[in-house]
Amino acid sequence: MPGVLALLPEYAGLEDPVADIRAACLDAVGWLGTEVTVIAGPQGRRVADHLLRTTTRTAAHPSYLVVGNGSAKRVDTSPGYVDERAIPFDDDLGSRLRAGAFSGIDADLARELWADTEAIAQLDGVVPAGCACSVDYEGDPYGVRYWVARWEW
Amino acid sequence: MNLKLGHRTFTDDLPLVMAIVNRTPDSFFDQGATYAEDKAWERVRLVVEEGADIVDIGGVRAGYGPHVDAAEEIDRVAAFVGRVRAAYPDLVISVDTWRAEVARAVLEQGADVINDAWGGHDPDLVAVAAEHDAAVICTHAGGLSPRTDPFRQEYDDVVAACIETTVGLAERAVAAGVDPRSVVIDPAHDFGKNTFHSLEVTRRIGEMVATGYPVLVSVSNKDFVGETLGLPAGERMHGTYAATAITAMAGARIHRVHQVRETRHLVDMAWSIAGRRPPLRAIRGLA
Repeated sequence: MPGVLALLPEYAGLEDPVADIRAACLDAVGWLGTEVTVIAGPQGRRVADHLLRTTTRTAAHPSYLVVGNGSAKRVDTSPGYVDERAIPFDDDLGSRLRAGAFSGIDADLARELWADTEAIAQLDGVVPAGCACSVDYEGDPYGVRYWVARWEW
Repeated sequence: MNLKLGHRTFTDDLPLVMAIVNRTPDSFFDQGATYAEDKAWERVRLVVEEGADIVDIGGVRAGYGPHVDAAEEIDRVAAFVGRVRAAYPDLVISVDTWRAEVARAVLEQGADVINDAWGGHDPDLVAVAAEHDAAVICTHAGGLSPRTDPFRQEYDDVVAACIETTVGLAERAVAAGVDPRSVVIDPAHDFGKNTFHSLEVTRRIGEMVATGYPVLVSVSNKDFVGETLGLPAGERMHGTYAATAITAMAGARIHRVHQVRETRHLVDMAWSIAGRRPPLRAIRGLA
């Protein structure tokens, strides 16, 4: 799931600008087990901790919650404006997520494109290669590419 | 504490805008512009569209003018309240009156709030409000009779006087059976006050907020703004906005105004700056 800071209660407005993303994240986090290992940077961890606190989970299986997202330089309304490499990068990242193929993500390019992929790359060796993925949400409503995806093995 | 205004309840993180709707031929600001029913009706439609939470319907000019008896006042406002109630079921309807018999007539037509702008002049009014589970606005009019201007009136401490009077009236209302969530206090700028008094009340409105009662302020285009800036009634809106911003920042909860759209933006912004009201929708830097 993406580390969208607007998901945090300290940034809540009267209207929720990320209502659909929030719904998808809560649904996915609620699907995790009671024992969850969070893989995320500091901001992503705050988002993950909040969503974990907000959900009730009963499944027994050990789970991972990984926070990351694609580029924030996709279009001219993106926070980082436009880098023409962003959309191909995100297309490739989306394919990797679907295929469960996490090795070889270009970390330098990700940094340049304001993509948060460090935690995603750590799934290499955790998720079995070729593991089936279901994508609950995919979009870039504010010019940043988001996915909410689940792998089960 | 939540604020209960008749059939509506409001949480304490949002300021409220009360739009003035005069069914009078001679009010100081609009000079009878909405005296005719169709004009008043259009005014209600407009202020609802502009974001008013409450309409405050009045049938008698606050200042000096031709006598209006209770029957005439009822004739001006009661049926109109019923018409507004039917068309706007969610809107809070307040009626500006000091008379218990007028209050009864308008509450029977569906009004939610009695704005007792002359500070408890009719002691029976609160009992009528209690009978109808209505809210009451308790004002400090400096002990003046309705429709009279102050003359050489002075106070040792005008804010202390406002608090003592309005809290006393509030306690009397609760003792009469008004829901404690339905009592609002109002220092009543200009009423029983010279311009220095109203400026001081504006500056120290936080002391009234600190009583714990929701505070209503009614500064819109009033004489203290005009005297402070040297402007006639039609040119006081910027001074009004300054006074409104100061009182909103200090926590005044209900703002009774002529200019609704501008005030809506102003008080929402002030409450958000003060950290009481979240922004409407925040995504900048948070995506």
